[in-house]
Amino acid sequence: MEQFAGIMQDAKMQKNEAGVDYSRFDNIEEAGNSFSSFENLSLNNEDLGSLKAVGIHLFDNASPGKFLMYGADVYRSIPQIPGVEIIPLKEAFKIYPEIKEKYYFRAVDKEQDEFTQTAFNEAANGYFIRVKENVIVDEPMQTAMFMHREMSTMCIHNIVVLEDGAQLNLITGCTSGCSLKGGLHIAVSEHFIGKGAKLTNTMIHNWGADFVVHPRTATIVDENGRFVSNYYSVKPPKYIENNPSTYLRGKGANAKYLTVLASFPGTYCDIGGTVLMEGENTGAELVARAVNHGGTVIQTGLLIGAAKNARAHVDCSGLMLSDKGIIEAIPGLRAAHPEARMSHEAAIGRIDMGEVNYLQSKGLDEMQAIALIVRGFLDVDIEGMDDELRKTIREISELSGHGED
Amino acid sequence: MLTINNLHVSVKQKEVLGGVNLSIPENEVHALFGANGSGKSVLISTIMGYPEYKVTRGEILFRGQNITELNIDERVKLGLGISEQRPPTIKGVKLEYLVNLLAPEKMNDETFRIKMLEHFGMDKFLNRNINDGFSGGEIKKSELFLLLLTRPDFLVLDEPDSGVDPEHLKMIGAMITEILQKKKQEGERCNPQARSSGLIATHSAEILNYIHTDKAHIMLDGKICCSGNPAVMMEQIRALGYSYCIECQHANQEEH
Repeated sequence: MEQFAGIMQDAKMQKNEAGVDYSRFDNIEEAGNSFSSFENLSLNNEDLGSLKAVGIHLFDNASPGKFLMYGADVYRSIPQIPGVEIIPLKEAFKIYPEIKEKYYFRAVDKEQDEFTQTAFNEAANGYFIRVKENVIVDEPMQTAMFMHREMSTMCIHNIVVLEDGAQLNLITGCTSGCSLKGGLHIAVSEHFIGKGAKLTNTMIHNWGADFVVHPRTATIVDENGRFVSNYYSVKPPKYIENNPSTYLRGKGANAKYLTVLASFPGTYCDIGGTVLMEGENTGAELVARAVNHGGTVIQTGLLIGAAKNARAHVDCSGLMLSDKGIIEAIPGLRAAHPEARMSHEAAIGRIDMGEVNYLQSKGLDEMQAIALIVRGFLDVDIEGMDDELRKTIREISELSGHGED
Repeated sequence: MLTINNLHVSVKQKEVLGGVNLSIPENEVHALFGANGSGKSVLISTIMGYPEYKVTRGEILFRGQNITELNIDERVKLGLGISEQRPPTIKGVKLEYLVNLLAPEKMNDETFRIKMLEHFGMDKFLNRNINDGFSGGEIKKSELFLLLLTRPDFLVLDEPDSGVDPEHLKMIGAMITEILQKKKQEGERCNPQARSSGLIATHSAEILNYIHTDKAHIMLDGKICCSGNPAVMMEQIRALGYSYCIECQHANQEEH
């Protein structure tokens, strides 16, 4: 019984053992430049490579504009599309004083925990993005958070507003310099999606082995609005807890979450999502895929059906590629209305050696075969997925094939 | 080209092949007949090196090299290739992903695309998950298509005709013939007999209406009990069934 007792406690114990000592990190950096264009930015190839790995190409002249937090410095390119804005948050408060009242800590509760309090107390900088009514942005808008100093602390606050009928495909890459080991990343993100508007928010993380990451995200979706959240973790930090909340306030609003991550020894990833379906005929789907090489992965999903004809489905699947490590799938459903329709599925298993042997018999070596199977496992139907993101999935899969840690 | 000496194989510690001897020279294709459960698939899987089939005695030589201990992919690199009877479904992995890994240049080759993809109707399979929801005939076609990409020197075909309707069977025969013609395409035009070698396991022997085979063997209870002319043996099996082989085997044993 003793070994079972150990396993029963393991997920929580590992969380405690991941034991974050925040005194190791430096204080949040003072803001450097107020904001500057990319012409004034000089990055070496390694840094550009790190950004590419999270889907960010700084110099491709994309028309929707770009935004980069490089440590405490802010760089941006101005959108070439009328009705689309990206402005450093502090600057935006000066230009549009009314937005502070309307959006600042209106989706995320500033008293939620010490990290939201820190972001509030530090008056963190980040981006303010607004897409005006009925403006549809076809090309993805790229934003990046880049940590370049060892043991530094980055604290940011981002706000995205899509007015009624607007559409935006937003890619946010969060990463550290290749050689960096550790740091603390705190990020508050608030999204407001108007009537009939659609936001596809794709976040890609790639961190050093000793990073600690605390995103705090909330999204409010109005009538017939749609929110698609794709989260990929190429390399996880030592510790991340990410449980974004979405409030489907308007009738017919809809949310879809997809999380894809690979976990390695010594890492703790608690990745999930909570969706509160307050409006009639709202829909929510949460799909989680994890490949574990020996870390701890908690897949948490909680969908709350609190209105007539709310429809929800959670699907958590894990692939164990190591004898060590834990995947814990917690697909949660809470019905608070008799006419809510909700379902869930969860499956965890090891890779099927019959499939590996089969692919070997076609000419692949064992590592290629494993990488291809993992790619298939992770390659779920994704909205807003372009070639770059497919490449990201391939990279996660290839890491699995090589058993890299 | 392929020589098997006194091969004993166990699965989960139970002996399933009890001393198989077989020799297939270069440029020859042999048929392997046998009732269900006689050991044909076990022999095929052991030739390819599937790890659940443990060789307890004997050896497998390919071009004189002992391959008994080699991994599956090492055998494939030496020139062996298989079409499986019941391959697994691989969810989320499109056939195109595998094709691009095996032979990326072929997908950009317009001649190949027209000849192989369109002629054999494979273009519609590329965007589907490997073997997912394929019919019996479609599975065989997909397996053979993958062999067309790599064109191995030695083909191992496990029941290419099982669960296949007559129309598909004709195309499957054409695909096998195409794969076997490898060497002619590679410049050995002077030798009219030059082709890849192979072993075709078949219960019904239907596929032999479409492919020339040089010799046939009958498998019974994990052993090859009889070898000879494929057409004669096929006719006997069709007329008298495998029960005739069992009786014949018993009579032989009694004589000895």
